[in-house]
Amino acid sequence: MRKSFLGALLAALLLPILVACGGSSTPAAEPTSAPVAAEPTAAPAAEPTEAPAAEPTEAPAAEPTEEVAAEPTEAPAAGGAPTDDSNCADEAVLCVGLVTDVGRVDDKSFNQSAWEGVKAAEAELGAYVDYIETAAAQDYANNIMLFAEKNYDIIVTVGFALAEATAEAGEEYPNIKFIGVDQFHDGSQENVVGLIFNEDRAGYLAGALAASMSQSGTIAAVLGTDLVPAVVAFKEGYENGAKAINPDITVISTYHPGGFASGFTDPEWGATTAKQAIDQGADVVFGAGGNTGNGALIEVAGNEGKYCIGVDSDQWETVPEAHSCLISSAMKLITPGVTELIKAAKDGNFPSGVYYGDVGLAPFHDFDSVIPAEVKAKLDEINAGLADGSIDTGYVPAN
Amino acid sequence: MERVEAQAPKPPNKSNWISSYLFPALYAAIVPVMAVIVALIIGAIIIALSGSNPLVAYKELLIGAVGSPRAIQRTLERATPLIFGGLALTLAFKAGLFNIGAQGQLILGAILAGWIGYIFTDLPAIVHIPLALAIGALVGALYGAIPGFLKAYSGAHEVIVTIMLNYIAGNLTDYLSNGPWKDRARGNVVARTPKIAESAEIPSLGDILPFDISILNNIPLGAVLAGLVAIFVWWLINKSTLGFEMRTVGENPHAAQYAGISVKRITIIAMLLSGLLAGLGGAVETLGVNGRFEPGTNAGLGFNAITIALLARVHPIGVIPAALLIGMMQAGGALMQFNAKVAIEIIDIVQALILFFVAADILIRKMLRMRKSEGGLNLSGGWGGS
Repeated sequence: MRKSFLGALLAALLLPILVACGGSSTPAAEPTSAPVAAEPTAAPAAEPTEAPAAEPTEAPAAEPTEEVAAEPTEAPAAGGAPTDDSNCADEAVLCVGLVTDVGRVDDKSFNQSAWEGVKAAEAELGAYVDYIETAAAQDYANNIMLFAEKNYDIIVTVGFALAEATAEAGEEYPNIKFIGVDQFHDGSQENVVGLIFNEDRAGYLAGALAASMSQSGTIAAVLGTDLVPAVVAFKEGYENGAKAINPDITVISTYHPGGFASGFTDPEWGATTAKQAIDQGADVVFGAGGNTGNGALIEVAGNEGKYCIGVDSDQWETVPEAHSCLISSAMKLITPGVTELIKAAKDGNFPSGVYYGDVGLAPFHDFDSVIPAEVKAKLDEINAGLADGSIDTGYVPAN
Repeated sequence: MERVEAQAPKPPNKSNWISSYLFPALYAAIVPVMAVIVALIIGAIIIALSGSNPLVAYKELLIGAVGSPRAIQRTLERATPLIFGGLALTLAFKAGLFNIGAQGQLILGAILAGWIGYIFTDLPAIVHIPLALAIGALVGALYGAIPGFLKAYSGAHEVIVTIMLNYIAGNLTDYLSNGPWKDRARGNVVARTPKIAESAEIPSLGDILPFDISILNNIPLGAVLAGLVAIFVWWLINKSTLGFEMRTVGENPHAAQYAGISVKRITIIAMLLSGLLAGLGGAVETLGVNGRFEPGTNAGLGFNAITIALLARVHPIGVIPAALLIGMMQAGGALMQFNAKVAIEIIDIVQALILFFVAADILIRKMLRMRKSEGGLNLSGGWGGS
């Protein structure tokens, strides 16, 4: 009897751990940003990096539920914004809905960036906005439908995992405009556009910055799983950008071996891998892989005189633990991209197919004075070269 | 060795159906039902604390789960793999084995069924679907048999082995869906297999019935299959010689050995059948719901199956309501979130609370002043001993 009790107890203790392992393998998450805390059981593991970043100005911080409740009264929009979605069928009322990929709308990553883009549209256009957080991949279509049935005018879906569901909804609801963040759409549907980014260009800029700042001639990249093409694009761009500055540079690039199951949610692995790279002489580390990458940034922050570079959004805001090393971040400007597309939909010049959003380096923040003026000038030059096509990142998408 | 309480289970008395099945079933259901109710009450308190109305939230949850034919279909779709997984766990538990490897067996079944589903394009559905299901089940069975074999012949504990095998299955499916079996359709950048042929898609009941009854039209055939398999598993465990041997091994392997049952053989067969059920569940999920294999979409199913099996008190028929309950919560969660503004995580909290109260059933029994469970869960046959 005693034995079986112990056994049951052990099993009960094991369960949460196993569920955390299995549960956090979020379906085809967005490239480099992990949907933090997709399930409560996964949260403890994610906590270390999931910093309570105080975003002074634009933070929607607070509890999502409260936030929505507070929305209608907050909205300062011109002409009195609608306070609920009961009139969305009305031509004059603009309603914008957002469906997240598996994860939270305040994930400090792509879901949040997209939602901030929608919020900006709320403020500027007087739209009524709402979101649904997706719990499982099987819910994508249904969650889009919830908005569509209420006659929302524009539906934003976040993450390439929703591409198919978005295209199908576009067929079914030809009068609704769909914006798919990180999704490829072939242009056959006039009401569906994919907002995508040249991650290789952002990586190229990060690589150029890293090579310029490296004293040792060795830099590193700690990456999420190579199952995600954006991660590969960041890595290839990073390596080629570094070589453009210093052809002899050594780049230690390491992909997480855990696939979707743990590739973006393993800060311990990120930290260990960053430590190994530093031991091998690396003095600038690029962390591109959700919480895995964040773990690398925080590890580097504990080493004096080493620099780190974040990814996706300005990680100065999202990983304050890394302030002592974070010289910049390779950003995909999702927020302005979403806002622009919403405006385009409202103004009647909605593009179809794919729409390339901007990429770039985040501000240098505290390191603004550390980075030499000639490096900044060189980065501007590269940025211009990437934009006009005179510089090629050397990244060829595999497919 | 000092355990004496477990005897070989008695064959059920056939004389009175009501007293031999119905009453025990109702009695056995008290704890899980109470666990669900208590969990829902605590969930309601949490919803209220977060500033929403719990009654509205639960109403929306119910509408989202069973409020329309489409909602019912979604609930059944969610419940189907959970029924298979729950049955897989139940069957293994009966033989004293804890098959944590259901997840790995399930995703291998899912990807193999997806592969059969897309490589054949000109098979009739009547051949294509059974073939894909059979291959999925077969792969699950073989993958489940590995830990059974290791347990039988080297004593390696199935929990440890299956955890390792889950990693192998996860990485193997990642590799296949991003390598040789990747969907090369234009525009696809993600790791996934191509869409299965139409002839491999499991239809709804409405598509095959000669007559038209609207409420049945949306019932996925996979859910019907799951129900039939549950009945079969019940029969297998309770009415067949093999089931008798499995239960005997599960309750006391030493007694079983003494009675002339080959514990090794039963261990392997039980794990093989358990893996078969899990693999079949994965195959049905691919052919009936997802239409292809994509890493991550089946995440956690094998682990939710543990919840289901425990909630069902390790009873094959009990697995059906348990899976339907969890399926309802998952299917209705989105509408609850949308209309009642309740964070979707509340569903996970309620689910975790249910598991907690079922596992720690002594709490519920104290509340109800019930007697100690009779022949309760024996989840730990192989721990330390044997």
